[in-house]
Amino acid sequence: MAANARSGPRIWVTGLGAVTPFGWGMEAFARGLYEGRTAIRPLSLFSTDGHRTRIAGEVPAGLEDALAHLPPKQRARLSRTDGFALAAAREAAASAELELSEHGRPSVGLFVGSSTGGMLEGERFFGDLRTAGNRRLAASRIASQQHSGPADAIARALGIGGPVVTFSSACSAAGMAIEAALRSLRSGETEVALAGGADSLCELTYAGFNSLRAVDEQPCRPFQTGRKGLSLGEGSGVLVLETETHARGRGARALAELAGAGSSCDAHHMTAPDPLGEGLVLAIEKALTDAGVDLEDIDVINAHGTATPLNDVAEWKALERVFGARLARIAIQPTKSNVGHLLGACGAVEAVAALLALTQGSLPPTPTVDAVDPECPANLVIGAARALSYPATVLSVNLAFGGANVALVFRSDKPESS
Amino acid sequence: MNGDVVITGLGTLGPHGVGTPALADGLSQGRPLFVPMDLAQGFHRSGSARLAGRVDPSGLKPWLDPLKVRRFSAPSKMAVVAARLALEDAGIERAELAGRDVAVSLGTAFGPNEITVKLLDQARETGPESASPFFFMESVANAHAGQIALDSQLRGANATIVQREASALLAVAQGLTYLESERCELALVGCVEEIAPVTHAMLDRFRALSAGDSELGRTFDADRDGFVASDGATVLVLEHEERARARGAPIRGKILAAIRANDPSATASNWGDGHAHLAAALRRGLRRSGIERERIDRIVSGANGSRQGDRVEGLHLREVFGAELPPILAPKATTGEYGGGFLAAAVLALDNLDFGPTPGFERVDPELGIRPHDGRRLPDARCLLVSSLAAGGAAAWLLLGRA
Amino acid sequence: MNPSPRDKASTADIRTRIKRVIVESLMLEGLTPEEIGDDQALFGEGLGLDSVDALELVLGLESEFGIKVKSEQLDREAFSNVNALAGFVERHLELAGSMRAARK
Repeated sequence: MAANARSGPRIWVTGLGAVTPFGWGMEAFARGLYEGRTAIRPLSLFSTDGHRTRIAGEVPAGLEDALAHLPPKQRARLSRTDGFALAAAREAAASAELELSEHGRPSVGLFVGSSTGGMLEGERFFGDLRTAGNRRLAASRIASQQHSGPADAIARALGIGGPVVTFSSACSAAGMAIEAALRSLRSGETEVALAGGADSLCELTYAGFNSLRAVDEQPCRPFQTGRKGLSLGEGSGVLVLETETHARGRGARALAELAGAGSSCDAHHMTAPDPLGEGLVLAIEKALTDAGVDLEDIDVINAHGTATPLNDVAEWKALERVFGARLARIAIQPTKSNVGHLLGACGAVEAVAALLALTQGSLPPTPTVDAVDPECPANLVIGAARALSYPATVLSVNLAFGGANVALVFRSDKPESS
Repeated sequence: MNGDVVITGLGTLGPHGVGTPALADGLSQGRPLFVPMDLAQGFHRSGSARLAGRVDPSGLKPWLDPLKVRRFSAPSKMAVVAARLALEDAGIERAELAGRDVAVSLGTAFGPNEITVKLLDQARETGPESASPFFFMESVANAHAGQIALDSQLRGANATIVQREASALLAVAQGLTYLESERCELALVGCVEEIAPVTHAMLDRFRALSAGDSELGRTFDADRDGFVASDGATVLVLEHEERARARGAPIRGKILAAIRANDPSATASNWGDGHAHLAAALRRGLRRSGIERERIDRIVSGANGSRQGDRVEGLHLREVFGAELPPILAPKATTGEYGGGFLAAAVLALDNLDFGPTPGFERVDPELGIRPHDGRRLPDARCLLVSSLAAGGAAAWLLLGRA
Repeated sequence: MNPSPRDKASTADIRTRIKRVIVESLMLEGLTPEEIGDDQALFGEGLGLDSVDALELVLGLESEFGIKVKSEQLDREAFSNVNALAGFVERHLELAGSMRAARK
């Protein structure tokens, strides 16, 4: 029983949507996760000539189908990232059985993380501009470049009338968006909030992480001895969050509770994490306090686990500082081993993975290649799925380029059939 | 809110120069300072808009150690200087803050475009393997907020908000939530913008910019034809009133409320026509904050000269205030759109700066019936409504009050 | 037939060129190549460079000397000062030279 339980409205997760390298929709994601597979494979979206790596977590074909219901002119202005975001948001709203027919209720908000927005289209446009010179180039091709594109696309499609805010804090963007939704709901500003993130692969990011020599030629191996770096990925995750009162009022079922959140900054270095992990420690402590849970209550940690040699150790040090000896008994779920690093979307897709575990009643097995590294000896689920005991509480953390850290706490009293 | 949040520091830089006095001077004279853009980089169409509000990054040298900032993009330099100016204004020694839970919430509409272009050019010309780590580090939108935190060792939440013309006010609102919920001691909030040639060209291709014989953001004018974009950065120091008074801080004013909404009729690149909905959202926000409409005695409008933007701005204000519209200041006519001049102007309005006549305004738009401020002396304002509607639909308002 | 970079480079020349690359690629404004000592520490103390500087420096060296540096070869020792870097560059030039010879 939590010693410092908090008061105030409880916030439920009532819907989920996802587009991942495993495919379009929650079912494909769940199947990929529970079969213990990795979706990181040779990249086909653009040429990898000249890059140090050849693989990524790429979302399979399906973008056209996902946008088919839109008028052609509107479709033309949407980026790949917008498409992911829209599909995930629509799935989440449908799964929550959310009636958004009351067009533009100010009590329904949207909080989205995206780190590059429509950069894929932007860089292609830019290339054409450079080679074609001062030609009339379609405005629609520039329209899709904004970081705020995914949020605006969802807001327009679903008729969001409340707050719409895009976070662009790199790898922590979606986590921070989810946190912002939590605050908005608790304050009464909103009764329902969609929160998540979306990003697509693009050459800029692919080249950039390669230039930092932070990428593995093989699919990434979080917390494992042979790890060499991250694998980039793309996709979108969206949660429907609402106040308990609102959910009960319309007979919605709770998948889980978003109990708390906290964020911080390392202020150590722009690309390297604080090796002592102090920033992450602060974010986790804030989240636990905010959630009114004790250290002993945490059963699972969905780690950031990018699989670079330094990041995993820095993250581990932070977790050790917080949990001490207990850490060895906490299951670690590194979702990047399945789908790669989804940048601005990772916080949301990883939250979805954590929520899947809570609703399914078990943790999926992590695909591993090497033994766990004794420097960061994560209690990975290897081989078969591992049952959860209830009530169950999951801590999901992310650490970003630029030092922003975010921690989310989800809990559930019992598994729900999804 | 556990106690009120006050503004104790303002740091700003923009086309008028570095520091608050330069901006105050420009606003009190109603004197925009726009200069020619570099049109020769291959991005612009012929006949494009030519002007923008620019900040020369070399003018920031007195504030920055060149070795420390050698990897900084221009917007990172602007952001760090604005943050330092704000802390200085608040009477806070940066060294005191090292390692403490101070939040940073920074808005930007477009992110660091100049560096991104350099990175893309580099990858195209010499191959992706030659992508510069420096450029990549600074090509992410959250680099600037990260550099502010790094500069003063600030360990609190670090958010970057990218939501077009509403980015600045949304960043302020987000900073408020950190102060309220995370119990952090201080929040640095604001925005930064760099109007690189590629950004300017993109806005122009959307016909968002004023173009033609005289380029001006003719706010609320019947013949307005778009806005002028500006570089710049503004940072505010926000803290709990109790803490501010305890340390004898200079208090510029209170944030009474932050209200957010969205106009779902807007397309990604334009404003919509959802003024009725926005008005309803604003009224709801005022009700929730316990602020009566009649108490508002000044409006600082985010109108920028855009045909569609000023329309929905004007109409939603009309819907809320009817015939009883308080005096309306339209600072973007002087500061340009983006760059934080608007946010700084709002704080200066709270300080009761005497704004000059609104440049570019000549003829009332009959549909709106709004005359922005004409330069006459106004009675002191006690409760200001600051309004920012974004292309794409996002909307944010702040209510500011005297301390 | 163009002389290979290796043939052109003299010992003193390599160090001077390396120092120029350091100043230019790392944007060390206000510092001249002459002011960098041959055995002055580059990282941590001394010039105060960090891991991202190292990566940027590698790009500059690759471009200046026409060499290719694999990730596994990026170790602190090789980058500790200009003397170490000169050895590093010479080894890579030799490698490139012997690969060219092997292909003839």
